[in-house]
Amino acid sequence: MSTSSAISVQGLTKDFRVGLRGIKLRAVDNLSLEIPRGQVFGLLGPNGCGKSTTLKIVLGLIPATSGAISILGFPSATTEARQRTGFLPEAPYFHKFLTGRELVQYCARLSGVPSAQVHDAVEASLELAAMTEAASRPIGTYSKGMLQRIGLAQAIVHDPELVILDEPTAGVDPVGSAAIGRMINAMRAKGKTIVLCSHLLGQVEQVCDRVAIMDRGRLVLEGRVDEVLAQRDRHVITVAYLTPQARQAAEAALAAHGATVTSITHPRRSLEDLFRELVTGSRDA
Amino acid sequence: MNARLNRTSWIARITFLEAIRQRFFAFLLVLSAAMVVSSVSLRFMDFGHSELKFVADFAFGGMFLFGSVLALVMTAQLFFAEIENRTALTLLAKPLSRTEFLLGKFLGTWAVLGVFVFSLAFLQGIILWSRTQELIVMAAETGRVAPDFSVSGLASFAVLQWLRLGVVAAMVLMVSAVARTFLFTVIVGAMAIVAGQLQWLAQEALLKPSDASVVTKSLLWVSSRVIPNLQQFNIGDTLVLDPTAISGAAVWSVILSGLFYLVAFLALASLAFRRREI
Repeated sequence: MSTSSAISVQGLTKDFRVGLRGIKLRAVDNLSLEIPRGQVFGLLGPNGCGKSTTLKIVLGLIPATSGAISILGFPSATTEARQRTGFLPEAPYFHKFLTGRELVQYCARLSGVPSAQVHDAVEASLELAAMTEAASRPIGTYSKGMLQRIGLAQAIVHDPELVILDEPTAGVDPVGSAAIGRMINAMRAKGKTIVLCSHLLGQVEQVCDRVAIMDRGRLVLEGRVDEVLAQRDRHVITVAYLTPQARQAAEAALAAHGATVTSITHPRRSLEDLFRELVTGSRDA
Repeated sequence: MNARLNRTSWIARITFLEAIRQRFFAFLLVLSAAMVVSSVSLRFMDFGHSELKFVADFAFGGMFLFGSVLALVMTAQLFFAEIENRTALTLLAKPLSRTEFLLGKFLGTWAVLGVFVFSLAFLQGIILWSRTQELIVMAAETGRVAPDFSVSGLASFAVLQWLRLGVVAAMVLMVSAVARTFLFTVIVGAMAIVAGQLQWLAQEALLKPSDASVVTKSLLWVSSRVIPNLQQFNIGDTLVLDPTAISGAAVWSVILSGLFYLVAFLALASLAFRRREI
C-alpha cells in the first residue's frame, strides 16, 4: 500500500449471497487501484459495474470479501480514515424537518469539528456550496439541485482531505451541474483529493485529472484523462474563413507531405455550453 | 471518550426531534391521556376494588398497553427510516462508530418514551389527587377512613415503566439490527413482548417440583434467563396505594434487573449491527 495515495485498493473482491440458496454474485472482482493525492479522480462504468459497491467498501459501509484498502495511509473503515473523508451519497436524503444550516451543523458535530469552530466551518461550507441564502429553509422545501449542494456542504464541513462524490449531478440541470463542477475545481485548488463517480462523461472529462473505467466488477482502464483520450495519430487544425480554393490548396500541400485529410467539419459547441450560455445567471434556488 | 459522548448525544438529539414530531406519537399520547382521564368516569366498573385502585389500574393499563405499542413501533420505525431513506449512509460514512449510532438511536427513542410516561404519570397524579380530595370530604361526612395515594410511589412507578419501555426498545433494536424489514421486526418484537409478559410462568414452572424431562427443564431455565420478566415492573398499584407493602430493596432489584437486560440487549444489538451491510 502506498502512503502517497489518497486511496489504495489492493485485490478487492466482493461477493454477495443472493436468494435462499445463497448463490454467489461477484460485484467487484480483484480490483487494484491507486488514487493519487490532490487530484480529481473519475470512477466510471455502467450501472451495476461495481462502482458504488467499491465506494461503500472504501467507506466501511459494507465489508469486503477479500482485499485490502487504505485511505490516506489508514486502514479504511476506521474512524481515523473517515475523519479525513467527506462523502456525498447518490440521490442524498436528509431529515426534512432540519434546515440546511442545522443539517450541516449536525454533520459538523458528528465529524468532530471543535465547538468553537463549528459556526465558521458551517458558514464556509455553505458558502462554497452556494447555499448560504437558502440555509435557513427546511430541507423539505429544497429542489434536487439544492439537495445535492447541501449534501456537498455536509460532506466538506470538517475540511476533509478526501471527498467522495457519488453521482453529484444526477437529476441536476446543466446550470446546477456546472455549479457543482466549479465547486469541485475550488476544492481541487485547495489541494483536496476528489473521487467522482458519474455518468456525465462530459463533466468527468472536464473536471477529472485521472479516470478509471470499471465493467462487471473489473477495472478495464485507468490513466490520465488526456492520455487515455488522445488519438496520437490524428490532429485538429481550426481555420477561420476557409474558402474552397484555400481548402484545395491546403489538402494538396498536406498530401505533398504524405498526410491525408480524413474530415473537414465545422466545429460545434456542446449543447450543454449552449444551454448554459442561454440561461446564464439563472440559479435553481 | 468526550467525542464519543458528543456524537452519541447528537444522534440522540436528532432522533428525539424526529420522533416527537411524529403523528403516531401524538396519537398514542392523546389516546393514553384520554384513557387516564376517563378512568374517573368509568370507576363504577370497579369490580368491588377500592375506587382509587380501579382508577390507578385503569390508567396503568393504558400506559402499559400504548407504551408497549409506542416502544415497539417507534423503535423499529426510527431505525428502519435511517436504513431505507439511506440517511444512515451519510451518517455512518462519518467518523461515527456503529455502536454510537445505535446508542444514539436508543437514547433518542428512550427520551421520547420518557416524555410519554412522565406526561401520563403527571396527568394521573392530578386525577388521583383531585379524586382523593373528593373522597376525603365524603369520608369525613360518613366517618370512614379517608383514602390516600403516594406521590413518590407514583414517581417510582413512572421510573419503572420508563425502564420497562427501555428494555422493550433495546430488545426491538436488537431485532432491528439483524432483521431486514420493518414488518418482521414488529412481529418478532411483539412476540418478544408477549413472551416477556409470560416469562413468570417459566420461572414458576421451574420452581415447582415436577417430573418434567431434562430438555423441558433446560428450555424453561433458558427462557427464564434470556427473556426479561416484564411483569415484574407492574407493581404500580402497590407503589401508589400501599407503598409500605413493598420494600425499597424489591424495587431496586427490579431496577437492576431491568438495567441488566437493557445493557445486554444493546450490547447484542451493537455486535449484530457491526457487520450489517448498509
